[in-house]
Amino acid sequence: MAFLNMFGKEKERPTAETADDRLALVLSYQRSDIDERKLKEFQSRLVELCNDFGYDVVGQVEVRPQSQKRNNMTVLNASIPVRIRTEAKEDDPTVKSAGLT
Amino acid sequence: MKHKSVAITITSGKGGVGKSTTVASVGLGLAQLGKKVCVMDTDIGLRKLDLMLGLENRIVYDLVDVIEGTAKLRQALVRHKEFPELALLPAAQTRYKEEVLPSQVKDLVNELREEFDYILIDSPAGIEGGFRTAIAPADRAILVVNPEIPSVRDSDRVIGLLESAHLDQIDLVVNRVQPGMVKGGEMLSVERVQSHLAINLLGVVPEDRRIIRSSNTGEPVILDDKSTAGRAFNHIARRINGEDVPFMELEETSLISRIKRIFHIA
Repeated sequence: MAFLNMFGKEKERPTAETADDRLALVLSYQRSDIDERKLKEFQSRLVELCNDFGYDVVGQVEVRPQSQKRNNMTVLNASIPVRIRTEAKEDDPTVKSAGLT
Repeated sequence: MKHKSVAITITSGKGGVGKSTTVASVGLGLAQLGKKVCVMDTDIGLRKLDLMLGLENRIVYDLVDVIEGTAKLRQALVRHKEFPELALLPAAQTRYKEEVLPSQVKDLVNELREEFDYILIDSPAGIEGGFRTAIAPADRAILVVNPEIPSVRDSDRVIGLLESAHLDQIDLVVNRVQPGMVKGGEMLSVERVQSHLAINLLGVVPEDRRIIRSSNTGEPVILDDKSTAGRAFNHIARRINGEDVPFMELEETSLISRIKRIFHIA
């Protein structure tokens, strides 16, 4: 059974496609000096925020710090796959005022 | 007029990237140019520069003996027989890095400055006390990097530490480059490494099997006419000495890659 599982085993998704992209990512994390726990918390707050604005998060939320140089400046790139929640339209005041319901 | 001397710390963060090989060959290269050079091993407890230079049998005193006052500096210096312009100040093999303070090494280097044009300080791996001791007396630093992610990441951290220690002149040596692997996308290119680290490129050293022979015989690879790495180290020494030496073209040397090139496969 273990032998069969070996083929079905899911491989860890690489963090980047090329070595150069991976290095850029690794250096960005190191230079930004961001706490992993804080980053996870930030991700879950983004999910809540999307929910408040009527979006359903339908995939993995990714937040990638990007630091070009060692100058203490970090850009946070967030990738949030969402779908607009349809039932939210009825409660939405902007939709109501436009007389669309 | 006061003698102008330069103290250069050769460092890396990650171990095994070729710091001692670089110090031994570049030190000899500068001595061949007629400069008075002292190579100083600060890797207390794990010395290797003596082996790289074939001087292991001539060590009587070491750096810790001088600092503790058991020996005078000139007693501890081991002169190279073939190149008397080069002297080695060996590290102690049976002591600990914590026994030496940065200020003590700084004083020692100041004493060496009176006699030598160049003092090359071989730093231990890591970013702990030994590293801080090795960078304390330096005027500039050379960072030895292998074109692989763990080595570059450590180097990036080391650059940050060197900058916070106000060591502003930091040069890069990319060691163990394999052009065939770079071409095949399996290895980071020198350009990408330099671009990520954003420091001045001092030299590029190709992977060379003759280095293994050299560290086993105690004859630095710079003395090996057949070695491309030896030629690269010679260029680095000349650049340190102020010469404008162009970077050499690195070519893939394996038989398979040459056959592939003939048949336009790669």
